[in-house]
Amino acid sequence: MNEAVFYIIAFLVGAGALLSVTVRDIFHGAIWLALTLISIAFLYFYLDAGFLGVIQILVYVGGIMALFVFAIMLTAKIGDRSISQVNRQFWPGLLIAATLFVVLGKVVMDGPWMRLQAGSPVTDLKTIGTSLVTSYVVPFEFISLLLLAALVGAVVIGKVKK
Amino acid sequence: MIPLGHIVALSLFLFCVGVYGVLTQRNAIRFLISVELILNAANINLIAFNKYLGSPDGLGQVFALFVIGVAAAASVVGLILVIAVYRLRKSVNTDDFNTLKW
Repeated sequence: MNEAVFYIIAFLVGAGALLSVTVRDIFHGAIWLALTLISIAFLYFYLDAGFLGVIQILVYVGGIMALFVFAIMLTAKIGDRSISQVNRQFWPGLLIAATLFVVLGKVVMDGPWMRLQAGSPVTDLKTIGTSLVTSYVVPFEFISLLLLAALVGAVVIGKVKK
Repeated sequence: MIPLGHIVALSLFLFCVGVYGVLTQRNAIRFLISVELILNAANINLIAFNKYLGSPDGLGQVFALFVIGVAAAASVVGLILVIAVYRLRKSVNTDDFNTLKW
């Protein structure tokens, strides 16, 4: 039962990812990306990381997907579906990705974690909160600075110059 | 529970799909979608290893949170750059982004 849930989620994540980079219409690609991101949020719930699942839905599906949809509507020409979606590097790119998959897949298959089962206590929200403001307070502050810089940078770049 | 290797394999598949998209897609927005897939693959690994190997202060989940923050900043700047170049070039094709080329 437990295993079946994981394989259903894994199928949704894999199929959504594959479709989001291969479908011709970029808007459909964004919708498939949303499916992938929601499935990944369910995977986090499955792995007892409920807080990360909620954050995934809030930030990715709520924020980043809305940005993608707006960017697509502001840029894409709906009519030009006849031109190819892939560039001249299609075959080398496919070859590199497939080689990477095979080589890293062999490492994963041979690794010691193939049989590893979960045995450690679940990380609860209290632990994450405490770590964020004690051990990892410097990266936490740095992320806030980075987000502020991204906000200001986006406004400056996006402003229409008179 | 399923073994950890199966989750790592799923993450590997997601990563390779992202690499394929980054290398081959012409549309700059599709390129950013592929980058998001790669970052999510890393996040799945962080959370899976945190669950299976354990950490007293939840290091895996904390870093997954940081990755989500950086991904949000990256996609905001990336998308606004695509829109800015589109205003200039009327195109989102990455082959047309050559104004920095001498």
